[in-house]
Amino acid sequence: MQSLKDIVPAAENNINARFILLEKGKATVEGQKKTCLALVADETAAVHFELWGEECDAFEGGDILSLRNGIFSYNRNNNLVLRAGKRGQVQKVGEFSMAFVETPNMSEIRWLPPPHNSSTAAANAYVQDAVVSPHSRIFPPI
Amino acid sequence: MRSKLTKNAIFEADNSLEVSLREAFQLLEPQLRPPFPLKLPTQEDYFNLNKAILCEILCEPHVARVHIKHLHAIVTDGYTYFISMLIKIVNELYAKLVDSVKTQLIWVTREMVNVLGVGFDGLLVALLRQIVGGDFSGGNLWLCFEMVSLFRDKWDCLLEDEPLVLTSALYVFLRLLADHCRLPNDSKVETLKRLEIDFCIRMLREKFGLCLKIGRDLVRLLQDLVHVPEFCSIWKDLLLNPSVFQTDAFLDIPQLYLSRTSSRYFLLRITPEMENQLRFLLTHVKLGNQKRYQVWFAKKFLGFPERETLLSDIVRFICCGHHPPNEIIQSDIIPRWAVIGWLLKSSQRNYVEANVKLALFYDWLFFDEKVDNIMNIEPGILLMINSIPSYVDITRTLLEFLLMLVENYDIERKDVIVKGVSSAFTFLVRKGVVQSLDALTCSDVISPFLKQLFEKIFKDMLASLSERAVASLPLKPISAPS
Repeated sequence: MQSLKDIVPAAENNINARFILLEKGKATVEGQKKTCLALVADETAAVHFELWGEECDAFEGGDILSLRNGIFSYNRNNNLVLRAGKRGQVQKVGEFSMAFVETPNMSEIRWLPPPHNSSTAAANAYVQDAVVSPHSRIFPPI
Repeated sequence: MRSKLTKNAIFEADNSLEVSLREAFQLLEPQLRPPFPLKLPTQEDYFNLNKAILCEILCEPHVARVHIKHLHAIVTDGYTYFISMLIKIVNELYAKLVDSVKTQLIWVTREMVNVLGVGFDGLLVALLRQIVGGDFSGGNLWLCFEMVSLFRDKWDCLLEDEPLVLTSALYVFLRLLADHCRLPNDSKVETLKRLEIDFCIRMLREKFGLCLKIGRDLVRLLQDLVHVPEFCSIWKDLLLNPSVFQTDAFLDIPQLYLSRTSSRYFLLRITPEMENQLRFLLTHVKLGNQKRYQVWFAKKFLGFPERETLLSDIVRFICCGHHPPNEIIQSDIIPRWAVIGWLLKSSQRNYVEANVKLALFYDWLFFDEKVDNIMNIEPGILLMINSIPSYVDITRTLLEFLLMLVENYDIERKDVIVKGVSSAFTFLVRKGVVQSLDALTCSDVISPFLKQLFEKIFKDMLASLSERAVASLPLKPISAPS
């Protein structure tokens, strides 16, 4: 299990984390694809989570979710989101009883892509450049 | 176990308890068909066999009788393990159980009462806690009906073996009746109400000694039922003719007033899930961070207007059933008074709001530092004083309500109540929960009328407090009960 503060954008299904769903936006349908943006958080950070298909109606605010093999990357609208993806899985494992913070929000950080031609794996990772907003601009704290 | 125990939604992780039951079943399935092996199982096999049999009883009603016989034959621990598993299922899974499993659960519970299995009283209490206050859905009324019928049918046996479980049931059904009596008449509810009334009246008329064990909250619950003819007559006898209850220990109402109600009764009206969430809120959530948790709690448990009647039960639980240790009191975790302030503001109906305030102040009315706990009255004073800067309306409405209670709650015994509330105020100041009562007695934001009334009622107390202030004793921080 990873803390959300430690997740880094990558084109890999490599995120295993446990977090609480704070708020859900409206679902949108594009062709066959239904998606819904949500705010999730653990004790260390928050992040935008993109629910897909049936996931959109399966989860509610206050649900504690467990993500296996999720992916943290840019979606089609070029927003940085966490999601289960085709190879990952998200499940409800509890409700309510989990502490969380809304700052930092990993989706509200500007990341610098890895430089080309790097030889080591570590140098191949995105690095944090600047904080765009301390908390979600889509789901501000209440 | 071919059928499922719970209605598991997609995207929901398997529950570990259900998984462990299913695994035990898969492991021992061959042993669940006659002829049953005669050799004594090892301890581990014994537990697994208990689980496997429990699975079959709950999931396969048509063969339940065979399996219960099997259980009776193999049991060597007085059903301790079997009943402990049943209690776990009720506490952790009840709301998710498939309807046919719930029916079986009641059936097997009756069996456990029949054989006086060790811990069956705990099982009955666990089931009573699953009856949700202010929930008039078919499933919840069904559970009420099943439980009150069980208590009626097993009366003699319960009286002999676990009489206190009858006291618990009385607390629950008195409380539920107050809600059920507000429902519009329909034949199903009428039948249920009749059973509940009959059970409660039988307890009060025949076993008053057991009823007394509830303590002062018995009076609070009976007051809500005074419009029901049977309870009106009980009420008259309590006031005018206490000897008809044929209980030597009972002399008069003030005696009940002065006996504090144990927190286990308040837990009876809170489901384990509610209890867990409230305790989490009051143990882990920082003041200022509580809003999302409050939204979730309200959506889940207070989502319908009828559910509001739960508020007074929750406030009784927070005052008397959840006493945080000093580390929490001195930390930045949301205090109890702030949660109660939120609950008070969530009520939309006047009678609910009045009941919530009564729940908050009930121990004040009869406070005696020898029997009462300062933690039970602490939220009331802190809510009044701490609301002055931003929510002075709460301070005013609470203070007014408290003074009206003193004046009107029991006119015949006003002296008892003046004494109780005076003792409460004095003790709170003496223990340093608040530095003084000046914020209530001298503040400009409190109306002159309330201040005068306060001074009139509590003249003696205010005089003795000011003498004490002159002596200027050092103030000690509040300490939680050990």
